[in-house]
Amino acid sequence: MTNNLVTTAYIVASALFILSLAGLSQPETAKRGNLLGILGMAIAFAATAAISQGYPVQIGSIGLGVLIGVLAASRVAMTDMPEMVALLNSFVGLAAVLVGFAEYLQPSAALSGGDVIVHRVEIYIGVFIGIVTFTGSMIAVAKLRGWVPSRAVLLPARHVLTLGMLGAIAALGFPFLTATGDVPMIALGAMTAIAGIFGIVIVMAIGGADMAVVISLLNSYSGLASAAAGFMLNNDLLIITGALVGSSGAILSYIMCKGMNRSFINVVLGGFGETASGAAKTAIEGSATSTNTGEVIDLLDSAQSVVIVPGYGMAVAQAQHAVAEITRLLRSQGKQVRFGIHPVAGRMPGHMNVLLAEANVPYDIVLEMDEINDDLPSTDLVLVIGANDTVNPSAKYDPGSPIAGMPVMEVWEASTVVVLKRGMSSGYAGVENPLFFNENTLMLFGDAKTNVNGILAQLSTTNAPATALAAA
Amino acid sequence: MTIAAPQETPVTAVADAAPAALKVGIPKEIFAGERRVAATPETAKKLQKLGFEVLVETQAGAGASFTDSAYEAAGCAIVADAASLWEAADVVLKVRSPQHHPTLDRHEATLLRPDQTLVSFIWPAQNPELLEQLAGQGGTVLAMDSVPRISRAQKLDALSSMANIGGYRAVIEAASRFGRCFTGQITAAGKMPPAKVMVIGVGVAGLAAIGAAKSLGAIVKAFDTRLVVKEQVQSLGAEFLELHFEEDGSGEGGYAKVMSPAFIAAEMALFAQQAKDVDIIITTALIPGKKAPLLITQEMVESMKPGSVVVDLAAEQGGNCEVTQPGEVIDYNGVTIIGLTDLPSRMASQASQLYGNNLVHLLSDLGGAEKFGIDMEDQVIRATTVIHNGQVTWPPPKIEAPAPAPSPSSAAPIAEATAPAPKPWYSQLLWPVLIGLACVAIGLWAPASFMTHLTVFVLASFLGWKVIWDVSPSLHTPLMSVTNAISGIIIIGGMLQISGNIASPMTILGAIALFLGTVNIAGGFMVSQRMLNMFHK
Repeated sequence: MTNNLVTTAYIVASALFILSLAGLSQPETAKRGNLLGILGMAIAFAATAAISQGYPVQIGSIGLGVLIGVLAASRVAMTDMPEMVALLNSFVGLAAVLVGFAEYLQPSAALSGGDVIVHRVEIYIGVFIGIVTFTGSMIAVAKLRGWVPSRAVLLPARHVLTLGMLGAIAALGFPFLTATGDVPMIALGAMTAIAGIFGIVIVMAIGGADMAVVISLLNSYSGLASAAAGFMLNNDLLIITGALVGSSGAILSYIMCKGMNRSFINVVLGGFGETASGAAKTAIEGSATSTNTGEVIDLLDSAQSVVIVPGYGMAVAQAQHAVAEITRLLRSQGKQVRFGIHPVAGRMPGHMNVLLAEANVPYDIVLEMDEINDDLPSTDLVLVIGANDTVNPSAKYDPGSPIAGMPVMEVWEASTVVVLKRGMSSGYAGVENPLFFNENTLMLFGDAKTNVNGILAQLSTTNAPATALAAA
Repeated sequence: MTIAAPQETPVTAVADAAPAALKVGIPKEIFAGERRVAATPETAKKLQKLGFEVLVETQAGAGASFTDSAYEAAGCAIVADAASLWEAADVVLKVRSPQHHPTLDRHEATLLRPDQTLVSFIWPAQNPELLEQLAGQGGTVLAMDSVPRISRAQKLDALSSMANIGGYRAVIEAASRFGRCFTGQITAAGKMPPAKVMVIGVGVAGLAAIGAAKSLGAIVKAFDTRLVVKEQVQSLGAEFLELHFEEDGSGEGGYAKVMSPAFIAAEMALFAQQAKDVDIIITTALIPGKKAPLLITQEMVESMKPGSVVVDLAAEQGGNCEVTQPGEVIDYNGVTIIGLTDLPSRMASQASQLYGNNLVHLLSDLGGAEKFGIDMEDQVIRATTVIHNGQVTWPPPKIEAPAPAPSPSSAAPIAEATAPAPKPWYSQLLWPVLIGLACVAIGLWAPASFMTHLTVFVLASFLGWKVIWDVSPSLHTPLMSVTNAISGIIIIGGMLQISGNIASPMTILGAIALFLGTVNIAGGFMVSQRMLNMFHK
């Protein structure tokens, strides 16, 4: 196969990848988009296979990879998608490191003069991004699985430490670029070790809901790692694909940060706990009114329009199927039921949408915050399930609050709000929520799944013919 | 803060534990014309959920349209007469303060036993003899009129819930005696001007009156010495009358305080001027522990148009209007003066429901049936308890009550004003300059092949930026898994590094990279397809 033919195949693959991402803009076209991506990958693979060698090794690696990938993808629970994405990010990072080392050991093209230096710079940067992506993603997975504490773990003098590590990484670049013999290899290895620790320290310092930003960011890094590999291998397809993935992760991180009204730097450099404990906490005067499932049933019976606002608590309690079933029952009674999703609800962008889709909730009643906020004043009943900071009125009304200015779901505008929550503890941001003390707010304490199942059970009995009434 | 823990005692369990269950007694009200009752069938059910057994005197709910059979259906026991009810009950819930019982021919206070608790309106300041008499009986008495007006006690605040109904009813009484429509219309038969209503004193009753008058279509103006209520008045669509005077009348407990003479003079001038203009005046001004302030003088009433109506909600405390006759409706020079003192009782069904709920919340705060007890450390219970085991505990020690903080929904959105300060010009220039320098450096030193790659990279980044912004937020998770899959394209790097020599380090590294990338491709595309299959309309 001629080189030009391979290049043409790569151009086609690039176009297919772009069309694939464009297809994801609408749920209707998303499946076709995914198939276009698979087609692009197949073309790129076939073209590369035609010009490469060592087929037995290739077939072995690919066979094993496909097997593990398919197994993982078919078994992963939708609630565990953040871990899955983080794990896949880490693989790309590690692959970029390995490609970088291999490329250093034997450059794919004969180089001379200035090109050698440029090539080594590309390798150095590629390995750096790759290893940070790898170790950072591994820590993210460990945090999401609860293997290490999910709160922000801050080392003493960590800013000095991180700056010191970055300095060492930059300093090791000189022997790598200029020395001969074994020295560059040692420098590259040392840099990889330091950068690996750097990735660990950075992600350890980020906790809770900020994980969504980190996962998007690592997604972006995995793209940049691919792009860096493209630079060192002189391969435009890798560069284009890496750039697409890099922008995608960057946009998602940006959306997440905007959803929390925090700057990117603020999220990456500091845990939320720091700022919250520094600010004076406003004590809230008043009492929360607790309720029971029976009263919630009465409210649901009399409401004509219901909005459900889910948060990470719903995912933790695995309550989405019961919530979906309640939605179906209420809709069959002719009531308007919709979902309102805050951009940072859950542990990754779009997490809630996937959980609801899994539970068979039609996607056209799942609305974004901006789409539903205007309708909330005319809503009879809002059910808040496991969300806290995203429905906190102090973000809008209390300029002294640590979350002031963060866009929130204005659920308090509705006639009645029922909050399903385990206890009165504050949310991830450590801010008291005045919503719970409002006169039109009722608190339904307890495990979200137990309570939602209780509501569902009573709702289905009251719907059944009169025999149920006689029993009551 | 206290959170009333959900007391979910199943009703059946109460029946089993019959000997231990505390009994709540609901006697029939004996005050002439009183139609309210201290528990409705609905609140009786809630009392049972708290673990109480509920006894109801026969016909107790008749005035409020609750039949004995409705109470029986709610699981209450009907008791034939007041004496046996008082005898059987551990806790007696009443509306009006105890007085001479016409059929038993003895004072209700004498029915109170030392181990019994009475919850009712008492008005200890106005009725010192009654307080003495009750204390002599040795029992415990909680006065619903003494619930402190702090936010934590709002759900117990019967004064507020009754005032709310009184304010609404005041408008209804005024409308039924006013010879014109409240709403303005132009009809074929001629023009109907809207009624003008002035509400003086914007407490709970005043707000309810404003809301009711407004929804009947009247033009409503309101006055209060406390400037904090201005926004609430305006949020109901009424006009807030202001004196241009530097004095705020916010006193403690949400009431107004006594104002300076100069302020009162200005206020009276405003009322005199308004009296000539408005059709209906509703006054609700009260100062705790004092006679109601005189706001509408005889001359003002005389200056009102014939057919106008004055409703004096302060009639029982002496009246805000000089000519008010408490408990009566009189005609004064063509102006109807309504001094009725039983307005909540005139909406007996709704008023009983609200009062009953206040009592349920109180009994729940007292620990329900199982842990029933008077906790004198609790600020709210302390203030409400006027006699504890025969000891007069009224008045309670003073408590610090904060001025009513503006509620979140009425507070001005100050947050919007805190826009970030514009950055100085040099920081805006920082990034363009740095990027420019980087471009110059690359242009000077980078080799040609690098430039081609950079071009591709930058253009692809911009293209990605445009394409990704169109992705629907609901698909962000599938987007991430698809990008996971396509970043597996790094396999082509691994593939090109694998050679026939299996032992070479490059082949090993390449093979591992190929393996990892393939996991990504297979896993990413497959999990995306799995997710996308779930999305349906």
